[in-house]
Amino acid sequence: MNAVDAPNATNATNAGRREHGESLVVVGNGMAAIRLVEELVRREAQLRITVIGDEPGTAYNRILLSAVLEGSHPATELRLKDEAWYAENGVELISGTRVRLIDRDARVVRLADGRTVPYDRLVLAIGSAAALPPIRGLVTSGGDLSPNVHAFRSMADCLGLLNALPGARRAVVIGGGLLGLQVARALGVRGLEVDVVEAAPHLLASHIGETAGAVLRRSVEELGCEVHSETRAVKLTDEGLLLDTGYLLRADLFVLTAGARPATSLAKAAGLFVRRGVVVDQTLTTVTDPRIHAIGDCAEYRGRTSGFVSPAWEQAGVLAARLCGDQDRYEGSRVVARLRASDLEVAVLGDPEHATGDVVEVANPIRGSYRKLVVRDGVIEAAVLLGDLSRIGLLTQLYDRRTVLGEGEPGQLLFGERPAGEGSVLLPDDVEVCACAGVSAGRIRACADVAEVVGTTRATTGCGGCAGTIRLLLAANNTLPTQAATAGQ
Amino acid sequence: MTPTKSTETHCPYCSLQCGMRLESTRKGVRELSVAVWPEFPTNAGGLCRKGWTAPALLRHRERLTSPLVRDRATGELTAVSWDEALERVAAGLVKIQQRHGRDSVGVFGGGGLTNEKAYALGKFARVALRTSAIDYNGRWCMSSAATAGQRAFGLDRGLPFPLADIEDASVVVLVGSNLAETAPPAARHLEALRANGGRLVVIDPRATATAVRADMHIQPVPGTDLALANGVLHAIVSAGQVDQDYVDARTSGFDQVAALVAGYWPERVERITGVSAREIVGLAQLLAQADSVIILTARGAEQHASGTDTVLAWINVALALGQPGRPHAGYGCITGQGNGQGGREHGQKADQLPGYRKIDDPAARAHVAQVWGIEPDDLPGPGKSAYEMLDAMGTDDGVRALLVFGSNIVVSAPNASHIGERLDALDLLVVADFVMSETAARADVVLPVTQWAEETGTMTNLEGRVILRRQALTPPDGVRSDLEVISGLAQRLGVPTGFDTEPEVVFDELRRASAGGPADYSGIDYGRITRELGVFWPCPDTGNEAAHPGTPRLFLDRFATPDGRARFHPVDHVGAAEQPSPDYPFYLTTGRVLAQYQSGAQTRRVRELDAAAPGPFVELHPMVADLLGVVDGEQVRVATRRGQMVAPAKISTRIRRDTVFLPFHWVGANLLTNDALDPSSRMPEFKACAASLERVGGAV
Repeated sequence: MNAVDAPNATNATNAGRREHGESLVVVGNGMAAIRLVEELVRREAQLRITVIGDEPGTAYNRILLSAVLEGSHPATELRLKDEAWYAENGVELISGTRVRLIDRDARVVRLADGRTVPYDRLVLAIGSAAALPPIRGLVTSGGDLSPNVHAFRSMADCLGLLNALPGARRAVVIGGGLLGLQVARALGVRGLEVDVVEAAPHLLASHIGETAGAVLRRSVEELGCEVHSETRAVKLTDEGLLLDTGYLLRADLFVLTAGARPATSLAKAAGLFVRRGVVVDQTLTTVTDPRIHAIGDCAEYRGRTSGFVSPAWEQAGVLAARLCGDQDRYEGSRVVARLRASDLEVAVLGDPEHATGDVVEVANPIRGSYRKLVVRDGVIEAAVLLGDLSRIGLLTQLYDRRTVLGEGEPGQLLFGERPAGEGSVLLPDDVEVCACAGVSAGRIRACADVAEVVGTTRATTGCGGCAGTIRLLLAANNTLPTQAATAGQ
Repeated sequence: MTPTKSTETHCPYCSLQCGMRLESTRKGVRELSVAVWPEFPTNAGGLCRKGWTAPALLRHRERLTSPLVRDRATGELTAVSWDEALERVAAGLVKIQQRHGRDSVGVFGGGGLTNEKAYALGKFARVALRTSAIDYNGRWCMSSAATAGQRAFGLDRGLPFPLADIEDASVVVLVGSNLAETAPPAARHLEALRANGGRLVVIDPRATATAVRADMHIQPVPGTDLALANGVLHAIVSAGQVDQDYVDARTSGFDQVAALVAGYWPERVERITGVSAREIVGLAQLLAQADSVIILTARGAEQHASGTDTVLAWINVALALGQPGRPHAGYGCITGQGNGQGGREHGQKADQLPGYRKIDDPAARAHVAQVWGIEPDDLPGPGKSAYEMLDAMGTDDGVRALLVFGSNIVVSAPNASHIGERLDALDLLVVADFVMSETAARADVVLPVTQWAEETGTMTNLEGRVILRRQALTPPDGVRSDLEVISGLAQRLGVPTGFDTEPEVVFDELRRASAGGPADYSGIDYGRITRELGVFWPCPDTGNEAAHPGTPRLFLDRFATPDGRARFHPVDHVGAAEQPSPDYPFYLTTGRVLAQYQSGAQTRRVRELDAAAPGPFVELHPMVADLLGVVDGEQVRVATRRGQMVAPAKISTRIRRDTVFLPFHWVGANLLTNDALDPSSRMPEFKACAASLERVGGAV
C-alpha cells in the first residue's frame, strides 16, 4: 500500500466500523483466523474486530515451518501481516495471551492476563494441538516435555528445534504422517541421521494403502532415513527411545509428530457441543450458541475435522460472507494434501483409502512411483501420486472441479504424455514448416539452397524460427531419398 | 524491372509496425510490391505473410468508394455525395444533442488510427461535439498494462527499452504472449536471445508456436497468472534472492508484498494454477540466478477482470529481482494494435487529454484548452470506458448516436450479441471504414476513408518509438481521409477552424498539446523521424540548438513517480469471474492466428491469408475429443451463458485438458466471451470464461 495516500481512506472506513458495528472477537491468530479477518477487511465489514492469539506477534504462515526447519525458507519471512496492517484496518490485536474462558451469559471472554473482552459474536479459530502419544518419560514430572523432546506445531517449537540442532547428530521422529515425514526430511537435509517410528503398518497410513506405503518407504529410506513401522515407542529414557520391538533408538532429539487434536477444551468448558471438534452447521455456527462460530482445525462439520489449510480458508470465506449479510453456506471441502519436503513427491487428493469408486492404479517401485485414481461416475473422488507428480497440476484441477472424464481418460492420465515430434527431416511434403510465410516442406525441398528458399518462398524472413528445420531439409536433399521416392517404394 | 518509386513505410497491422519499402513501377499501383527495409531496427528486415501481402487491400474489389446512407424503412444503403452524407450526419448529431444533451453522442476510435487521427478525434469530441463520450478499442487491448505501468512506475510506455534489448537479457519471460504468431518478426529477437545464450520462458495455457521454442513452458489454468507470479515471488523470497539493495534504493512498498506472498507457498499455487510446485520453484530459481531478466506481458495476462493486478504481480517479481531501470532488464508490455501505444496517449481515451494527460487534472485542462483556443471549463470531463459506453447505447443513460472510426465493434466487443442489440437501439450509427466491415454493414451512414499507404501519419510502436507511415500512392476517387471527415463534420457542427486536414500540420499541433505532458512529443518532427529511424518519447522541445535525443530507455535514473521510486502493490488472486461448472465445464480462451489480424476486416479479404486461415476452429485436447466423440475437423458447438457458435475441432495436445481455444478474427468467438470488467482498467475478461462443448458432427 502506498504509505502516502492510503491510510487516510482506510482509517475513515475503519472509524465507521468501530463506531457502528457489532463487536466480533476472533479467538486464534493462525491461518484460519487471519484469513477470516482479511476477508472481512476486504469486504469492509461493519464490525469492530478483535483478534486474540496465544502466540506472540502477528499472524504467520504455519505451513512454512517445515521449510524453515529444512533451511529452504528464511524464518524472517513467515509473517503474513505486520502490526501496521492490523492498525490500519482497525483490527485490535491482542497477542501472547491465552483465552481462559468464555462466559456465554455475559458474552465476554476472559483472558489469562486478567483482561475481559466483550463480544456480540465470537469465532473460535484456535486450531489444534500436538497429540501426546502414550510414551513413558515423554513429559517431566512438572508437566512439560522432556528437554530433548520437541513438538512441531508453532513458530516457537520450530525455533526451539532449530536451536537444538547444533551438535545434534541423530533424531527420532515419532509419527510417520505428513508432518512427520516433512520434519524427518528437513532434519535429514540438515545432516542428521533420522529414524521414523510409526505405529501403523506403513507410512501415511491415514492417506495411502499398503502398496503405496511400500513404495514410499523405499523412497524415504533411499534418502537415508530409517523407517520403523508397525512399531510403538513405549518409553523414553536417558539411554534413548525404547520400542515395543525391544529396539532402543539412541538420539539427541525426539520430535513428536504423531497427530494433532482439535483444540476444544475452551469450547467444552463453555458448554458448547463438542465431539472430535466443535460441532458446526452449514453456516459455521456452533449448534449450541448462535453467537459463536468455529472454523479451521478446531471445527467439526458433518462428523469431520480437517487439519488442512484449504478447508479452513474456504470456511473463513463462507463465514466472512455470512458476517457481512450474505447467505453463503459451507458444503464441505475437497482436500489436497501435499507433502512439503525436498526430493519426496507426494500428493493425496481426498480420502483414497475410504472413497468408493473404481480404482485405476499404476505402481513402479523401481522408479519409486505410484499413482492411483478412485473414479466414480467419471469423476475423480480421490487420488494418490507418489514419486511422479508430472500430472499433479491437471489432476487437482479435474478433482477440484469434479470434471467428468472419458472412459479411457483415467488410464491416460496416469501415464506421461509422449513428446511431440519436431523438426524431422521425414516431414511430409505438405507440412507447413514456415508459418510466417506459409511454406510447406515440399516447397523447401524443391530449392537448392537457402538463398533460393528466401528468394522464392520468403521462408525464414519472418520470425526466423524455421531456419534450422530448413537447413536440415536442404541438407537431407543431398543425403536422403526424396519424400516422393520413399512413398513410392 | 527497376522501381520508379520506393517509399519507406510501415506495415498496416500489428504494434511491431515493421519497416518495409513499397515499390511501384511505371505500370502503376497494381504493381505495388513490398520489399525489405533492413535498416529499420525493430523488425530488422523481417516480415510475415500479413506484411508481404498488405498491398492486396489497396485496390481491393470490396473497397468502399462512395458514402452510403441507409433508408431505415427499407434497410437499403444508397450511394450519396460526400456533402449529402456529412450534412445528414451533422444534422442527425445536432438533433440528437438538442433533444438528449451533449453526452448523447459518442465517438468510438481505434488503436490502428495514426496519432494525428487519434488526436483529431479526441479534439473533435471535446471541442466540436463537446461530449465526454469518447473511448476506443484499445481499452480492450493494453489498458490493464497501461494502468499497472502508471501505478508501478508512474508512466505507461509499453516497452521501456528498444525491442532489440531483449537479445542481450539472460532470461526473457513472456506472460500470455504468442509473439511468434501475433508479431512474427519480433520473434527474431528471441532467436537472437537464445543464440546469445539467453533463456526464454513462455507462460501460456497453450503450447503455442512461441512456447514450443521456449526453454521453459509453463501452462497455467486461464486466469491464474497472478497467483503464479505471487508463487514465483514467494519462492524468490524463500531462496533469499530478493535484491534488497535495489528494493531499498529504488522502490517502496515491498514489505507488504513480502507478507502477502508468504501466503502463496508453491503447493497452494500449484492447486490454483495447475502448474506443479516443482515448476514454480524452478522458474523462480531460473529468474533469481539470472543477471538480467525481462518480463513481458501481453493480452493473455491482461485481458482479465483482474488484468491490472495480474500485471502488477509480475511487476512485483521484476522489482524484487532488481530489474526495472537496468540495462537489458525490466518489465514491458507487448502492445497489440498498430498504434496501440500512440492511440492511448493523445486523447481518444475517455479519461485523457493529449500527451497522456489526465482529463480531470486542472493544469492539464488549462494547457490543452489554451492550445485548442477554448476555456478550460468548456472541456467535458471523463466519460465512460469503451464497453460501458457500448453497453449503455440507446438507454436513458447512454449515447443515442455513435461515430466509429477504425474499429469493428460487432466482431471485437465481448458479449457481442448483446452489443449488437445495443447498436440496433441507436438513433444514428456512423462508421468510417475502407471496407464493409460487420459494423459498417449495420450503420446508418458509411463513410469510405483512406487507408495506410494512401495517407501519411505517425504511429507509436510497441517500443514507444514514434515512426512515420508515408503515403505511397493516391487514394481511389471517392474516398476521403479521416482527418478530412473530421474536419468536414466539425465545419457542419459550427466549428469551422481548428481541424486541419494536413497530417503534418495536425502533428505540429499535437506536439504543442503534448508539450510538458508525460508523453511529450514536442521535440519530434517528421524530419527527425525520417533521419533517426523513429524517435522515442518523451522528447521535449528544448527550444534551442541542442535537440533532446528522445528516450529509448526509461527509468535508468529514476521512475516517473513523485518520489522517483517504483511502487510494489500487494495483489491477491481472485481468478476468472466465471468459473467452470457442471453445465459449462471448460475454460474458453481466445486469441489470434498468424494469418489474420484483429476482427479480420482487412486480412480476411486478402486471398492468400484467407486461404491460410479460412475460418475459426475449436482447439481442444485429445482427451476432450474422446469424451465428445469427435474426430479432427468435425463440427463442435461451443456455448457459454452468452452465446454459441459451431466450428470444426482442431485436436491438439498443445492445449490444456480443461481449456478450449477459439481464434477471434471472425464473428463468433466474442458472442461467447465474458463482459466482466477490470475495476481499474475497465478491460473485459476476453481470456477466460466457462464453456460447454457438444459434437455436432459432419463436415470433416
